[in-house]
Amino acid sequence: MTNDRQKSVLVSSADHQERGASRVPAKRPSRRKFLKVASGAIAFGAVPLRGWAADAINIGALYPTTGSMAQIGVGCVAAAKLAVEMINEAGGIKSLGGAKLNLISSDVQSDTTVTRTETDRLITSNKLSAIHGCFASALTLIASEVCERAKMPIITGSSSDQLNKGRTYTFTPFARASQFAKAQLQMSKLVSEQPKVAVIFENTAFGTSTSNGLKELAPGEGVEIVMFEPYSAGFTDASPLINKVKASGANALFSVSYLNDLILIVRTVKQVGLNIAINGGSGGFVIPDFYKNVGKLAEGLQGVAHWNHDMDENAQKVNAEYKKRTGDFLFEYAGGLVAQTFMIADALERAGSAEPQKVREALSALDVSSGFAAMAPGGKVKFGPDGKNVYGRPVGVQWQNGDLASVFPKEDARAPLMKS
Amino acid sequence: MANAGKWKLPALAVLVVVLIALPQLVKSSFALDIFIRILLFSFIGVAWNLMGGYAKQLSLGHAAYFGLGAYTSTIMQVDFGISPWVGMVAGGIVAMLASLPIGWLCFRLRGPYFTIATIATAQALMLIFLKFRDLAWGAEGTTIPNLGSSPLMLQFETKASYYYVVLGLLALGLLITHRIEQSWMGYYLVAIGEDEDAAEAIGVNAPRIKRDIYMISAFLTALAGTFYVQYIYFIDPATAFSFNISIEAALVSIVGGIGTLWGPVIGTVLLETTSALLQSWLGSTTGGIQLTVYALILMAVILWRPSGLMGMVNEAYQRYLQRQPARA
Amino acid sequence: MLETVTQAVINGLLIGGIYALVSIGVTLIFGVVKIVNFAQGEFVMIGMYISFYLATQFGIDPILSLFISMPVLFVIGVLIQHFLIRRVLGPNDMPQIFLTFALSLLLLNLSLLLFSANYRTVHTSYSDEAFHLGGLYIPEAKLIAFVVAMALSGALWVFLHTTDLGKAMRAASQNRDVATLMGINPNRVFAVAFGAALALAGAAGSLLMPFYSAYPFVGQVFVLMAFVAVVLGTLGNVIGALVASLMMGVAESLGIQFVGADSGLIVVFAMLLLTLAFKPNGLGGGRVR
Repeated sequence: MTNDRQKSVLVSSADHQERGASRVPAKRPSRRKFLKVASGAIAFGAVPLRGWAADAINIGALYPTTGSMAQIGVGCVAAAKLAVEMINEAGGIKSLGGAKLNLISSDVQSDTTVTRTETDRLITSNKLSAIHGCFASALTLIASEVCERAKMPIITGSSSDQLNKGRTYTFTPFARASQFAKAQLQMSKLVSEQPKVAVIFENTAFGTSTSNGLKELAPGEGVEIVMFEPYSAGFTDASPLINKVKASGANALFSVSYLNDLILIVRTVKQVGLNIAINGGSGGFVIPDFYKNVGKLAEGLQGVAHWNHDMDENAQKVNAEYKKRTGDFLFEYAGGLVAQTFMIADALERAGSAEPQKVREALSALDVSSGFAAMAPGGKVKFGPDGKNVYGRPVGVQWQNGDLASVFPKEDARAPLMKS
Repeated sequence: MANAGKWKLPALAVLVVVLIALPQLVKSSFALDIFIRILLFSFIGVAWNLMGGYAKQLSLGHAAYFGLGAYTSTIMQVDFGISPWVGMVAGGIVAMLASLPIGWLCFRLRGPYFTIATIATAQALMLIFLKFRDLAWGAEGTTIPNLGSSPLMLQFETKASYYYVVLGLLALGLLITHRIEQSWMGYYLVAIGEDEDAAEAIGVNAPRIKRDIYMISAFLTALAGTFYVQYIYFIDPATAFSFNISIEAALVSIVGGIGTLWGPVIGTVLLETTSALLQSWLGSTTGGIQLTVYALILMAVILWRPSGLMGMVNEAYQRYLQRQPARA
Repeated sequence: MLETVTQAVINGLLIGGIYALVSIGVTLIFGVVKIVNFAQGEFVMIGMYISFYLATQFGIDPILSLFISMPVLFVIGVLIQHFLIRRVLGPNDMPQIFLTFALSLLLLNLSLLLFSANYRTVHTSYSDEAFHLGGLYIPEAKLIAFVVAMALSGALWVFLHTTDLGKAMRAASQNRDVATLMGINPNRVFAVAFGAALALAGAAGSLLMPFYSAYPFVGQVFVLMAFVAVVLGTLGNVIGALVASLMMGVAESLGIQFVGADSGLIVVFAMLLLTLAFKPNGLGGGRVR
């Protein structure tokens, strides 16, 4: 029914000449199998349902494909499907007789309550081996709680440091919020000898944890923070905020924000005529939509990401394929989850079983430095006892010619830093 | 009404038996989750209905009390190790106390402006909890410690246990509503709801009654808040003070029959079932469809049957009665 | 310091102009039809999407597109009043409140279904430009929006005070029954009031487009401010709503500047609560609900 409905048509115009359509054909995940399972549960409600094909291994994917984070969620699901196809085409899980991976995705509607219900439903209605999701830290925190109690391993790119506290079933192969903060601070020194930074951040989990990292680490990095303000996401007007930034005398602006606010902030800075280097952190900054909405204003702006498509050959290959399918470059979170899917596949191989507990054991012993599973800044993934990747670190990026290039640190730079 | 009276008690008994037996018969975790949701939102609706249904004080800010209850018990549990059962009651008391100043402010407005003021207070509370990290974890919220099976701490490993707790809450809410409905307070509430000025003219102390019912309504709503945190293991300002909760509280009562005992329950059953069906037919890809349907149902009810489903039932019953031959 | 304050005041006034357009619509409906239109924000949203569509499909500048969005929304307003609102105009509050509330819910979620949650922006030549006076800056797009908003408000005021229909509307708002006795057709007056209010909302949407993003929930922010402004400015009082909106814009801006960037709304709520506590009829005085 709704499987084929095209909804995510991003249209905007940078100026009148550009008749804007850059279509993102949203591939809605196939709902039929999921429908059968879910409607069966409702109609009869008595029998716990299983995965549908004897051979396939079910991987759950929880992303916000509707609601305020829909743009990102849709891209994530597309990447998740791509990853599963890549693995299946390469022969599936050999230690399980070539078993294919089956992706079962669910929409968490950018809402915490729904996340709770959907995670639960996903786990109890299907025989899953592992889950990945949910993009926003606030949502992932809930999903990981549910998974912990259900003893289901979940692997995620969400950056909140809380995800590594007191859990054994949550794995985070990529940089943590505190690490992002450090990288951002170091990048500010690229722009100026005496960085004076104004930090503004949206006041939910994402903004608060990242910005706290900034506050703690700044003195150690020799960076002076002259302004530190949380703001209410979704404001109508960035002028008062930027006004404050101007008054603070900062020469660099760190904005930890989701997309909508970033757009306003960047445009307002231009309006004010404020000559300040903007480091947009992660979040809404590193997705194609950002460029589509602010156009040339994005050129030269720096940010940090936990994954970028120019990191290594494998990343570039996946990027090319994703671009073919969706028309946009493979953004941070989506690329990261492709790597995560391969990590799950690697764990399945070593575990020789689809049992969640065994997969969890295998994941905790993960140690890769090549292949698609190792697509990470630094090229190595190994989990410590708290689920953190001991080699995890972020990569500094910059918008160059409408694309995101890795520029920091030196060993990860794939393009020279553009001076503006 | 002698005819009807004969059937009421047995029907109720059957219902109780079915409700108690349900988790033993239905094992699907997914279905139990739906039942729990239905019971929980019925309860929230019943709490709302006391004020909004009988006294027609249409609040769209009940999430304020939901959140206060949730946060009180969580703070007590996480910071002081106190059992959420105690926290639940404490949360209720906090909510009751909060309803006093909030009521004082909001009751100065009538009709739709009262409604707006209630929305504003819930929003204001959310903003406050977002800002004060030291008090209550700010925007990030917190999860409750994983204690596995710990009935004393209101944590269970099986859904069935949660089901019974919320069933108990609903029973409490219905009992209280029934008692009030049958008492002098019930009549005063309806009088105020019909025409506050006229009621005052005949000597009803409207401000005091409104204040009292608001306290009761707030108390019950807060209990629901505590339960909710214990069920989803997580709290943050956006979830605790969610406008959607305020909406649903009012919605189920209106659709089911505003100002009736069973109205909120029936309304919840209808809306939640519709929602579950929609999700299974359309998957969860069509965000917005659920609330669109809710909105359409609400509009239909308002335009054609403002007395809600219970109203329809009552009207049908009245018509049935009129067709009966007169009794000697 | 003075410069910072002045800049904050300017920012506040400019956005206050938009709040004014939305709140005048709410207060107009309230004064004449005596109901609160919870869906006002959603009509701003519709205005935005109309302008977005016109801008991207036909290249029409958003400001100019208000010549289309306003009439379209006027017609929508008349239709809504005729088919929906008319049926719930009675002594009972509940249907009125929840009908427009349901309408708001419906429009918001339909928009989510149809347009998805993506943010849509339009870039015009003046979107990112600003006038610079000394150390102060005035964003062009916002200034234009402010000027047009004030012009529309002025036009409305003139309409209400000089034309027969306008006077009929004011009469109906003061006392519906007597007005009817005087030969004024209430339904016609209501229809015009509703249409005009929605047209203003549509204008607000068009004016917002150059510097703001359109997305399904965009109306919610503005409508909250509008309601507070209406209460502050006294229910039904058009000038009151205008002045209150500007005040709130400034208060929000100063709050963000000096209290905290996440405190804008808190300051506004504080204003609301103080008003409710001490002058529940609003600062405009007089007219009691």
